[in-house]
Amino acid sequence: MAWLTSSCVVQAMQSIRSPIALRTLLPQRSAAHTTHTFPRASLSTTLQQRKNVRTYATEVHQSSEVPPAGEIDFEHFRAMPARIVPVSPSYFSGIPKFYDHLLRLERLLALNATLPTVPSGEAPRKAWMKIAQFREHLGEEVPTKKYMGLLKVVYRLNCIDPSLIPEEVNAALQEFVRPGNPLGEAPAPRQLDELGRARGKGKRKASNAVVHLVEGEGEVLVNGRTLAEVFPRLHDRESATWALRCSSRLDKYNVFARVRGGGTTGQAEAMALALARALLIHEPGLKPILRKAGVVTVDPRRVERKKPGHVKARKMPAWVKR
Amino acid sequence: MVSPFCWGCLTPLRQTSRTILPSPSTAVSRGPAFHTSAALQFMGRPSQGGKKGSTVLKFRQPAVAAMKKKKKFVEKARPPPVGERKAIRKRIVLSNPNALEVEGLQELSEETMVDSRLRGTALALPVPMLDQLRAVQAFKPKQGWSIFRRPCTVLRRETLELGRFFDNVTGDVERRGAVIKKIVGGARKSGKSVHLLQAMAMGFIKKWVVFTIPEAQELVSATSSYAPLSEENPNLYVQNEATAALLSRTVAANKDVLSGLRVSQNHPTVPAAKPGMTLEDLAKTGAQDQASAWAVFQALWKELTATGPAPGLEKHYTPRPPILVTVDGLGHWMTESQYRNAQFKLIHAHDLVFVRHFLSLLKPGQDQPSLPNGGALLYATSTTNNPPYVYTLDVALKQVAARDAGVEPSSPQFPQPEPYSKTDPRVFEVLESPKSKHAQEGRLQHQILGGVTHDEARGFMEYFARSGLLQETISDGWVSEKWTLAGGGVIGELERIGKRLRVAA
Repeated sequence: MAWLTSSCVVQAMQSIRSPIALRTLLPQRSAAHTTHTFPRASLSTTLQQRKNVRTYATEVHQSSEVPPAGEIDFEHFRAMPARIVPVSPSYFSGIPKFYDHLLRLERLLALNATLPTVPSGEAPRKAWMKIAQFREHLGEEVPTKKYMGLLKVVYRLNCIDPSLIPEEVNAALQEFVRPGNPLGEAPAPRQLDELGRARGKGKRKASNAVVHLVEGEGEVLVNGRTLAEVFPRLHDRESATWALRCSSRLDKYNVFARVRGGGTTGQAEAMALALARALLIHEPGLKPILRKAGVVTVDPRRVERKKPGHVKARKMPAWVKR
Repeated sequence: MVSPFCWGCLTPLRQTSRTILPSPSTAVSRGPAFHTSAALQFMGRPSQGGKKGSTVLKFRQPAVAAMKKKKKFVEKARPPPVGERKAIRKRIVLSNPNALEVEGLQELSEETMVDSRLRGTALALPVPMLDQLRAVQAFKPKQGWSIFRRPCTVLRRETLELGRFFDNVTGDVERRGAVIKKIVGGARKSGKSVHLLQAMAMGFIKKWVVFTIPEAQELVSATSSYAPLSEENPNLYVQNEATAALLSRTVAANKDVLSGLRVSQNHPTVPAAKPGMTLEDLAKTGAQDQASAWAVFQALWKELTATGPAPGLEKHYTPRPPILVTVDGLGHWMTESQYRNAQFKLIHAHDLVFVRHFLSLLKPGQDQPSLPNGGALLYATSTTNNPPYVYTLDVALKQVAARDAGVEPSSPQFPQPEPYSKTDPRVFEVLESPKSKHAQEGRLQHQILGGVTHDEARGFMEYFARSGLLQETISDGWVSEKWTLAGGGVIGELERIGKRLRVAA
């Protein structure tokens, strides 16, 4: 697979060109190659032309040279086609390789549509290639939407019962898995460090927080200051310690937090998320409670960008007749 | 108004006179109905004089001149009289008849202020003392006294320590004449001003003489009169108005103590000070006559710090009580004041004799302690009301703490200001107090008030509940949760939480 990427081809070409030692091997190989493709008659003429070819100044000129490609002899075609038809039916689309893949997968799906499936949650978890990676893999500018459509077929094929899935389908799906398959094995559960600290990170809006949680008696330090100094608003203090409060652990742990970026609300909620993650290291059984309290789910929203022609992200200037 | 000049070439536009303009009917038939020239367009506008010369109206241009609208007469409420708003803002309400009366509430007294079993309980301030505390302006408007039946304070660890000191200085023979000097610091709402209030209350209980400066800022904000001290000292300034106010505060609050003491020293500079007159009368003369206020204050201070009578006045002498001095908002004294000298330069706060006197008490006395009869100096800093640049004070207070902890000023651990930072050498100089040679005189300390403990927080919250403000079941878990939310038991934040909570409907 890696051979197909454009950068690998370029690398290979360079590695052929640069070392002199390799160049000595070249003529024999390419000579052997040419015997298959070119008629022997044209060889002598090409050898003479080859003498005028420029070489490296430091290179020792050798007599045995690469025979160049001869002229194509149209007389000796085995069969003359009425019109030349490309091998791939999607040759004239902008992204032929992509469509080849898509058509192959759709054919597989049509063949195996009757096989029993499992719910998508129970299907084997695989990390599918991301769009950028897929584009590099094909060397084609695949639109995001089209790739999503392809992935839908991939998901459907992946839902075929693992015990019945044909080998052909499995092999086809394997082509779309990210190398290494990061989701294949679950990451090792996080542990307390040797000093009994749990570390959690959280983000909200433009803020990020790192929390170190140790067993203690309810002291909270944020950026080296007390909770009341950092968050003058009581609501922010409550949301920052929400994970401990809703599990009534507020007097069981000491919190050291480092919060950066954003405003007070964002900082407080980033800290809440980080605190919940750190608490889950101490007590993994609290997860359902914390999920219900809303401190496990990440809020990925960010400020929507301003657009040209708009006053803000969505606001339009007032309509005027002229 | 259209400019008569062309903006392109600055030549005057040709103003065709109205008489030679073609009639409107012909103009419509001849050329286009729009104008490219602003000057021509202006000519065609209907004039205010009612000339019916034009027919071309702009889009949505009214054909009839707009009538002037009559302005509606809005009845405005008369603003409150001068000073009323400020009076409301500064009003101190110490009682709320709607709050429940707390059962079994104990009062602050000689016994309770040293009783460590009562630690964490709220103690009421005795009712007769409230007038004294009001006189020395111990209460501040936003301390939340108005939500309770009667003013109470929590007996926390620092209060108990202070109570024991007051008790020892007055009762213990060995500790008699002891002096503590503290600069009280701490986070916002950590109870610095209330700590001073508790000290004043204890001073009144123990019959000390209490001098207070409730707002240090008022002495440097150039809102009261000032004058050079004398011809010999043109660079020192006296504030007679503020001194008279201090004397009247002191007289009003310490009437009982001062009326029992008589003038027993010679005061050549104060003709009003007759031997044998009570110190109350002496202070009153200063409070009434502003011109002599500073001299009277000096005479009063000399009397109160006297350890024995002047020769010939033995019959008037009685032993002097200890003195408590409290200052709130020390930061304002550690920079330049708003007063100007004759060269219109800012006067440094340390050049005001009033300020200088109270700051000089922080230094150890030469041949006798700065308060020879014992006493306490409690100067509190503020976190919310500070002059713009208090960096020097911050460093100086760290140095005070380091010196108190035994760090030598020559050692590398001794806190130093950042290189190239702007510092005020006079501040370092005034807060640099070496160890006193008198055993009774304590060293200057920097006391930082932190949060209260869990037990104290529980007692405080129970007081809220028993006053009917807080309708919750007070448990240890609940209290420790609020303790954390209050930034580690910061008492002002606890009060805010206790005040705010309402039971779910």
